[in-house]
Amino acid sequence: MEEGGSLVHVEIAAEPLFEIGPFTFTNSMVGALLTTAILLTVAFWFSRRSALVPNRRQSLIELPIEWMANIVQGAGGTRWRSFVPFILTIFLTVLVANWIGLLPGVGTIGLAGEHDTIVPFLRPASADLNFTLALALITFVVFVSFGIRANGLRGWLKEFLGEPRYMSPLMAPIHIISELSRLISLSMRLFGNVFAGEVLLATMLAITTAAIFILPLAFFVPGIFLGLEMIFGFVQALVFALLAMTYISMAIAEHAAHDDNHAEAPVADAVTVHPAPTQGAV
Amino acid sequence: MPADGPHRAPGAAQPQPWGIALDLGVRLGVSVILGLGIGLVVDNWLATSPIFTLVGMVLGVAAAMYTIWDVASKAMRR
Repeated sequence: MEEGGSLVHVEIAAEPLFEIGPFTFTNSMVGALLTTAILLTVAFWFSRRSALVPNRRQSLIELPIEWMANIVQGAGGTRWRSFVPFILTIFLTVLVANWIGLLPGVGTIGLAGEHDTIVPFLRPASADLNFTLALALITFVVFVSFGIRANGLRGWLKEFLGEPRYMSPLMAPIHIISELSRLISLSMRLFGNVFAGEVLLATMLAITTAAIFILPLAFFVPGIFLGLEMIFGFVQALVFALLAMTYISMAIAEHAAHDDNHAEAPVADAVTVHPAPTQGAV
Repeated sequence: MPADGPHRAPGAAQPQPWGIALDLGVRLGVSVILGLGIGLVVDNWLATSPIFTLVGMVLGVAAAMYTIWDVASKAMRR
């Protein structure tokens, strides 16, 4: 997208910056690398300096982690510890990837492109469908593997192919579409929201640059939208992480419900054998 | 069945209701579009238009309805 007369340019696909052999590096890859570098640096620093009694800085880092872990604990049942690291990783990665778009120079400093446009050096990784689709694929593999671990491969396939067996040719494509819709909804939601945010910020900057003679407006309007984008970035990271948690906990809950049904069967038999006390109790 | 509600296994996972609602809202639309898209691709590939487009759309709608039934039945089982 190109705003009239300005150098603001938001392309829907990530733009190539340079090539190393057969690999083409795009500006969203630089964003993804920066996200990883930030997370690794903070994790390295945190693991070296963490104390049992946290100081203020450590508390600030522990706050979102504890908050998210509490949510997962509430919804994840007894197995919450097995997937809390994954949910936290997804949450922090998406959060940092989203917030990188708010840094000064991101999307506005870059190489000169065609038609007086700029090819930015840096683009938020989550404004690229490849990144969000990769995250959704990883989530997909994780919740399917949790489902297989909980139900066993045979149980999972039985659920996937449907019962009775002769309905499998009809149920299998329906299941495939249903499962693929999770992938698409996860990836498109994040990409759509972050990309729309980038377009909104670029448009607001272009409008206020044109109205620079009204100075308070030129600083105030982009400031409001940057604040809103910060909230949206957080909400989108939370939604992605919580949906991943919902998928995993649904796969595990399915197994628990099966166990529960099996556990109840002998009780039902016992009631049939001894009807009189049961009726008396009722 | 315990007196305090549905017979959930002790310590079983309990997905957030609003997480399920948020998930369902998008997946209903995506299922239909996905079925239709797959049908269109297959029709273009095999030059059989509009057979697979119609089949894909019907499967997409069926997948959307199945998703509601599946999620609701699992929620009720818990």
